[in-house]
Amino acid sequence: MNNPLLRGLTQSRYSRRDALRFAGYSAAGLALAACGVQGQKAAAPSPSAVADFWSTQKKNGRVVFANWPEYMPEDQAPLKQFQQATGISYEYKEVIQENAEFFGKSEPQLRAGQPLGYDIIVMTNGLQLGKMIQLGYLTALDHKQLPNFAANAGASYKNPAYDANNTYTIPYQAGVTGIAYNTKYVDEDITSIQSLFDKKYEGKVGMMADAQEVGNFGMFAVGVDPDKSTQADWEKAAAKLKEQRDQGIVRKYYAQDYIDAVAKGDVWLSQAWSGDVFQRQLAGEPVKFVVPQEGGTIWIDNMAIPKGAANPVDALMLMDFLYKPEIAAELTAYIQYVTPVNGVQQILAGKSDEDSKALAESSLIFPTEADYAKLRPYRTLTNAEEPVYNGLFQTITQG
Amino acid sequence: MRRWTPYWLALPAWLWLAIFLVVPIAAMASVSLTTGNLIDGFTQTFSVSNYSDAIAKYSTQLVRSLVYGGVATVIMLVLGYPVAYWIAFKAGHRKSMFLFLLLLPFFVSFVLRTISWGFLLADDGILLGTLKGWGVLPQDFHVLATTVAVIGGLVYNFLPFMILPIYVALERVDPRVIEASYDLYASRLSTFRRVVLPLSLPGVFAGVLMTFVPATADPINAQVLGGTSNTMIGNIVQTEYLVNNDYPTASAISFTLMAVLLIGIFIYARALGTENVLEAAAR
Amino acid sequence: MPEDVPAIELDGVVKEYLAHGETVQAVKGVSLTIGEGEFFSLLGPSGCGKTTTMRMIAGFEEPTKGLVKLLGQDVTNVPPNKRDINMVFQSYALFPHMNVWENVAFGLRRKKVAEAEIKQRVGDILEIVDLTGREKRRPREMSGGQQQRVALARALVNRPRALLLDEPLGALDLKLRQQMQTELKRIQREVGITFVYVTHDQSEALTMSDRIAVMNDGLVEQLADPREIYERPASKFVAGFIGTSNLLSGTVDAVDGDLLVVRLGEHDRILVPGQAAAGDTVDLTVRPEKITISTERPEAGLSMVQGTVGELTYLGTYNSYAVALADGTEITVFQQNAIDSSTTAERGDTVWLSWRPQHSYTLS
Repeated sequence: MNNPLLRGLTQSRYSRRDALRFAGYSAAGLALAACGVQGQKAAAPSPSAVADFWSTQKKNGRVVFANWPEYMPEDQAPLKQFQQATGISYEYKEVIQENAEFFGKSEPQLRAGQPLGYDIIVMTNGLQLGKMIQLGYLTALDHKQLPNFAANAGASYKNPAYDANNTYTIPYQAGVTGIAYNTKYVDEDITSIQSLFDKKYEGKVGMMADAQEVGNFGMFAVGVDPDKSTQADWEKAAAKLKEQRDQGIVRKYYAQDYIDAVAKGDVWLSQAWSGDVFQRQLAGEPVKFVVPQEGGTIWIDNMAIPKGAANPVDALMLMDFLYKPEIAAELTAYIQYVTPVNGVQQILAGKSDEDSKALAESSLIFPTEADYAKLRPYRTLTNAEEPVYNGLFQTITQG
Repeated sequence: MRRWTPYWLALPAWLWLAIFLVVPIAAMASVSLTTGNLIDGFTQTFSVSNYSDAIAKYSTQLVRSLVYGGVATVIMLVLGYPVAYWIAFKAGHRKSMFLFLLLLPFFVSFVLRTISWGFLLADDGILLGTLKGWGVLPQDFHVLATTVAVIGGLVYNFLPFMILPIYVALERVDPRVIEASYDLYASRLSTFRRVVLPLSLPGVFAGVLMTFVPATADPINAQVLGGTSNTMIGNIVQTEYLVNNDYPTASAISFTLMAVLLIGIFIYARALGTENVLEAAAR
Repeated sequence: MPEDVPAIELDGVVKEYLAHGETVQAVKGVSLTIGEGEFFSLLGPSGCGKTTTMRMIAGFEEPTKGLVKLLGQDVTNVPPNKRDINMVFQSYALFPHMNVWENVAFGLRRKKVAEAEIKQRVGDILEIVDLTGREKRRPREMSGGQQQRVALARALVNRPRALLLDEPLGALDLKLRQQMQTELKRIQREVGITFVYVTHDQSEALTMSDRIAVMNDGLVEQLADPREIYERPASKFVAGFIGTSNLLSGTVDAVDGDLLVVRLGEHDRILVPGQAAAGDTVDLTVRPEKITISTERPEAGLSMVQGTVGELTYLGTYNSYAVALADGTEITVFQQNAIDSSTTAERGDTVWLSWRPQHSYTLS
């Protein structure tokens, strides 16, 4: 059976998370103790402390991997190979549906010093991951034990702004936020972000509800690099987005179900994640994806070891194992997002089946250098900036 | 010894309520009076500014939620009462089948049902696409991403909770009382107005409570079916809690909503003469 | 029975139901006439069609065939709210959400009677049913007897052409029931309205009615005044249903003028008025209190049978004997507990039973 096609026909990876997102959040708040909550802000550990920690850890022969749904081939072949190669038995759990919800559920437990029961977790760079780092909920990694990462990680995936020197995280998969459009309704080639602000698409434009996603595009539209943006830039971007909204150009701010709307023609063009679009293309739907010339967003799902994990050494070994190009190629063939591992494109191009070749040729999976030059990460926000930033853009998306 | 038995038997229920209702509410009340952020911690300041800030910032969404919830409730009442009446008095021995049909959608999850609504009502979907093809509707007509869609979704999702209690109340009306009314020169209309309707009021009361409260607080319909200006207070709570981790603001909004709903219910109960209603219901 | 136009007339009324795909005849053809101011009872066991008959009079059911007339007017297809008839329901069917006053005023308000008159009439009727001062009570705060009287007042206040009462006393205990029987009769005399009373209680019907229609299996078995129903039951069913009856069966030996001579056993000789030929088998009935029990052979000219005393029951004002005849038939005899009672028989005694010929009837 053609897995990617089947998944493309069913639903995108993100919209499936919908069903579970509502369950978590009552638990999050209720676990808060009354009478204030102690801050847990933690300073980065000294290199010697990190070395001391790792020197006391040893391989236990077990590892528990918590990941998102649809983020591992169904036969779990990469993990099986890991087990064969190392003798470490694994447990794989698809328990993460959404960053905010996962953070909300884990935060009280981690604050209380209880282990989550996972040795590896996967979180997108963004507010929640930033909080995990700031609150000291992640274990600093021992890069001496990550030779494959050192050797094979793409240059853009090393030393990211949100985690200097990959102290706590290494990328698992990445994705690009650009513009998806339905060629049945849009008869021009979209190249500019200004198309999202074009009056002629009134009521047919989808934007994302997430403050980071929508904020980035607002900044691209006013010619600001999000990475270097100031509060004044945010205000300018917000004004641009507010105008877009008030003119009735935006139909809806989507949490995650935008791709169905594009495919059905409810919106003609929308902010979109590359992997979702690629799956639709494989399913034969008239959806195109473009990184606008003004810029697109790159986001990264990262592996990390939560504080208190029982098998950190085994976790490190698995994380590093996934940086072997042939293993990473298996992941990419199934997941179809952007891989942070060098050499995957060549491996896929060398395969005999059509799907692999199509993947190797897709700029959605393997952005070109020119694409990378246009891509910007989410703005990393300080504690003081976060409410200001969120407030500005949520006022627009939650009017 | 034995006279204590009822107390012992009731104990688990009381503990349940205490642990899962009172404690969280108390904790939430406490959190709503703190200031700070997740990273630096929240301190108990007993400052009510969380409330005034939240109300100032989100009054639009709060009022909108109450309006949507109210309008949806009125529509549900208007649609649901005749259905309940029909099942109670006209469905004969097929009653249980119709009740089952009514509950059938509930075997599918709330979110999925709402999403399937989105599918059904797509701009060029089976419904609108067909009508547009016939030229009945203009090409740019759409239902999704409008107030109508959100309220329609609320009505659809909560309608059975309106119908069931009204049905139960109507079912309990002694048919001889209705005959007595006919016998005493009342027309069908006047029998309905003077006898059936008043006797079903406990059901209407329960139905309104069971729909207005969750409809007002619901985030899903607005999120899935709404557009740019349909955000409801439930969505705000969700964002404040999950995205912003601003627990004090989220708690303050929740409490504000709770207070507004309780006051609304109280006024409504007074207007309807709860004492009688509840007495009649207890009969 | 007063003449001129009858209050209620049923003409060949049939009611069929569809039950589980089969047509069931609840009423198989009832014709009767109820006069103005009459206290008329429909009496019979449950399922005999009496309630259906009454509901057709009220208008809750439409007859499958036949006509219903009120004061000479055909109302067969007129709905209940347009019929000048009111009903007192079994278990009263009071409006639970209204107090006594509102319950009673309900019909007048629907008829748009002026408020002042309503006040007057409701006050009056509450006085008649002895409920003055309880206007503000809710039905559930009242006893069964009081609710009964509210139901009565609620119907009577409208001064209907006729009042239908469906087992109105069924829910009351014995003492209250007897009290209400008298009360109902008094009220009926006071207001002078035609009462149609449905009951399965024969003593209630006999006590209160001017006339009784005894119904069985969808048909009227006998329509007569209580005395005639009791004394001269027209059928085996009526005889069995009303009071205690002795049913005897024998062959006609001879015809002696108006009287048939019926022989049961060797010494038995029963004289009974009737039409039959010698050799016919006839059923006849005689009430237990009409029979004299004695150890000596009775005088000629009386019906007489011989038997053996079985059970003897002391019932206060009278004794009840169960006497077995030679052919096994058991006859019940009531004997007044008089001071000069000389003929007290004991269990096992052979006795003579005798009665006057005119106290027994042949049955169809």
